[in-house]
Amino acid sequence: EEGASRIVLPGDVVFGLAAQAQNKVLRLGSGLSQDADRVVAIKAGRLNHAKSKLWVEGSQKRYIPSAEDSVIGIVIDRRAEEFLVDLNAPVLGLLPILSFEGATRKNIPNLKEGAVVYGRVVKAHRDISPALSCLDASGKGSGYGPLKEGYLFECSTGLARSLLGTPTYPVLEALGKSLAFEIAVGVNGRVWVKSDAPATTVLVSNAIINSECLSAAQQHILVQKLLQAAK
Amino acid sequence: MEFVGPEGLRLDGRRPLEMRQLHAELGVVENANGSAMFEMGNTKVIAAVYGPHEVHNRSQQLWDRALVRCEYSMAAFSTGDRRRKGKGNRRSTEISLVIRQTLEAAILTNLMPKSQIDIYVQVLQADGGTRSACINAAALALAEAGIPMRDLVASCAAGYLNGTPLLDLNYVEDSGGGPDVTVALFPKVDKVSLLQMDSKMPLEHFENVFQLAAEGAKAAARYMREVLMENTQNLARLVTAT
Repeated sequence: EEGASRIVLPGDVVFGLAAQAQNKVLRLGSGLSQDADRVVAIKAGRLNHAKSKLWVEGSQKRYIPSAEDSVIGIVIDRRAEEFLVDLNAPVLGLLPILSFEGATRKNIPNLKEGAVVYGRVVKAHRDISPALSCLDASGKGSGYGPLKEGYLFECSTGLARSLLGTPTYPVLEALGKSLAFEIAVGVNGRVWVKSDAPATTVLVSNAIINSECLSAAQQHILVQKLLQAAK
Repeated sequence: MEFVGPEGLRLDGRRPLEMRQLHAELGVVENANGSAMFEMGNTKVIAAVYGPHEVHNRSQQLWDRALVRCEYSMAAFSTGDRRRKGKGNRRSTEISLVIRQTLEAAILTNLMPKSQIDIYVQVLQADGGTRSACINAAALALAEAGIPMRDLVASCAAGYLNGTPLLDLNYVEDSGGGPDVTVALFPKVDKVSLLQMDSKMPLEHFENVFQLAAEGAKAAARYMREVLMENTQNLARLVTAT
């Protein structure tokens, strides 16, 4: 487990279990697989180690659903009791029609094909369609629900995680100082931006998309340049 | 025709056991979930991977694993004379099948049941060894797309002409009438995923030629690891902020 912050590629042996003589419990997260007496990486990314959990974090364009993730979905169809939602994942997600704030049998949200929703993954497993909800764990809306108007674009899962992580993503911090806008980030690689002026929406979107491989200082410079050009 | 000259040099100046120059780039097709360009000498191919996503044809859905589809095609301008049909012909169908089987063995399909993974490989410049270059490009594209694999797959071909085993044949050598052995393997566990040969070869020479192709595949694997490592490092640098 030494050097647990290194880059691994598919097929790399993370460690051999025989070498670990102690009786320790180690949880294997995504990107790792146990192959007889070895733990092998099955994805390319950075090997992370926190408490007793080991996992590989990489940046992809496709999303693998995991419980408690906040995601932005696009409604594809409506079945009797649920909406079919595209999550940029291997299978479509299912969003029950009553899992919205203030929804009752008489007052079902009227989401058409193409509607954008911000939701939470309640249950996810490789053998089932991910179950979604637009309510948080205590039954309140807290920001989940349909996203009206605004502009939706896609990004990598790595960038989405950075936008939601701590400390605050430098581009968002810099933009927030000068502009007023609303933003929703789905860890499934989708970002929704809304503001009063289309020019602001375009500026914010361009800043985020172009910031992926930049350091914090470079991101501040990027935002400054964009704001200057907009004047 | 003399494929190995008196000084021991081949038609393009290589030694018999020398591979052509390798070059690979990742992320060449923006729209795809993963993509790679792979060059072996003058042979140049592009692979694009889409998935895992919902199966488009419900009747083909597999309940316990992902469906892997692969399409190999050659651009009309890839060979000397303009080619009229680059896919749908027997050779392309066979190579599509071969590439799909090789890569399916590497992908952990049981982690994504009921989904579909599409692999498209297109040959832009054909100068021998297109099969190997396509497998290498597709493996890099799959790794870039984050599709779980038990190991990278690397491939190379070798032949036997003028009584000498030759590594990584180009088009002229391939058309020389001798055998062409293509090997694809999992470099970390040293297991063979694909072994194909066309034409005929005396049995006593097979082991040598096979070993030569396997060594070539391992060399390709080392280069592919370098390229993939650099690409992953650039992306992973950002993710550590969280």
